Amino acid sequence: MRNGLKTIALGLALIAPVSFAGSGTTAEHIEAATAAYKKLAKESSYQWTTTVKAIKAAKKALEAGDDKGARKLAHQAMDLVEATRLQAKIESETWRMRVPK
Amino acid sequence: MKKVISSALVGTLSLGIAFGVSAGPVEDQAAFQKYYENKFPDTPTADFANGVYSILPTAREQWEAIEEFPPYEIAIEAGEAFYNKTFANGKSLADCFGPDGAVRNQYPKWDSDRGMVVTMELAINECLTANGEKPLKYKKGKITEVTAYMSFNSRGQEVDVKIPSDDPRALAAYENGKEHFYTKRGQLNFACADCHMLTAGNLYRADTTSPGFGHGTHWPVYRSKWQSMGTLHRRFGGCHKNIRANPYKAQGEEYRNLEYFVTYMSNGLTFNGPGARK
Repeated sequence: MRNGLKTIALGLALIAPVSFAGSGTTAEHIEAATAAYKKLAKESSYQWTTTVKAIKAAKKALEAGDDKGARKLAHQAMDLVEATRLQAKIESETWRMRVPK
Repeated sequence: MKKVISSALVGTLSLGIAFGVSAGPVEDQAAFQKYYENKFPDTPTADFANGVYSILPTAREQWEAIEEFPPYEIAIEAGEAFYNKTFANGKSLADCFGPDGAVRNQYPKWDSDRGMVVTMELAINECLTANGEKPLKYKKGKITEVTAYMSFNSRGQEVDVKIPSDDPRALAAYENGKEHFYTKRGQLNFACADCHMLTAGNLYRADTTSPGFGHGTHWPVYRSKWQSMGTLHRRFGGCHKNIRANPYKAQGEEYRNLEYFVTYMSNGLTFNGPGARK
């Protein structure tokens, strides 16, 4: 059971598609991730704490002059948003199956 | 990539093999309680009100020792003083909840006038503000002292949450709470039901997860981890943070509906708050 849960958690964290192209400034990438997060927050009640952390860390890295690190974190945040969206989609269809009969 | 997606979906679906769609609250409740009775056959039904200590004999011994000098005792005394304190307008909480505040079994309740679930904490704050007093914060502090006093005086009352059949909004609130309980959230992809139903009694690191049957009976609690008292909604928020999901607002609609569901599932048990937990 625990291995199954781990597999699901890992699967959800990894299956997010890479949503960014290489173009644009790092600040724009961070802005895009923030906008995606806010959009999802409006659409559903699913939000992960790790997404906010990644966005904050990206902003901090950019301020510190670490462009490469900031961009990586922005992409990570976007991936987390996509994984959250997928979770919301799966759960809207499957939660009822866990209700004992 | 496809393989990973398949693993996630198959894993998610496999958890529901022994489960299915239920008909309504009464049927849900019967199936819910039966699930735990089957899972923990050595636990007398009434004992589920004692949370994880109903299924863990070694921890129970320690808990019973703690209960000899309960860490929530100070909160009860402070709560009594606050309960009887006269407001600026000459009234007190006793004008809203009676002389001893033994009204635990009236909450959570469906308020058909406003179309919402009202919890005891919410009702206390509404009493305060209606009398020109400042509302209390919902997760810890003074609110836990008042509810500790009121819950202590309510010990032994039967959990009997009602879902009025003549108001579809009440059923919708119940369904919302039910969906929340069974829905996976957060980056760790856990539902309340994963820890407190499917794997209840299992170890997560050094801690054993409690059965969901009995949640809602013993609040507020003094939690050793917190080194202080806390409300049920504080605990809800802590659970969500543990699974890396953003917590909802204490006493917001989401958590009130969740409380409505989990307490309804424990109908037939007795209120035994305040409690002490690890």
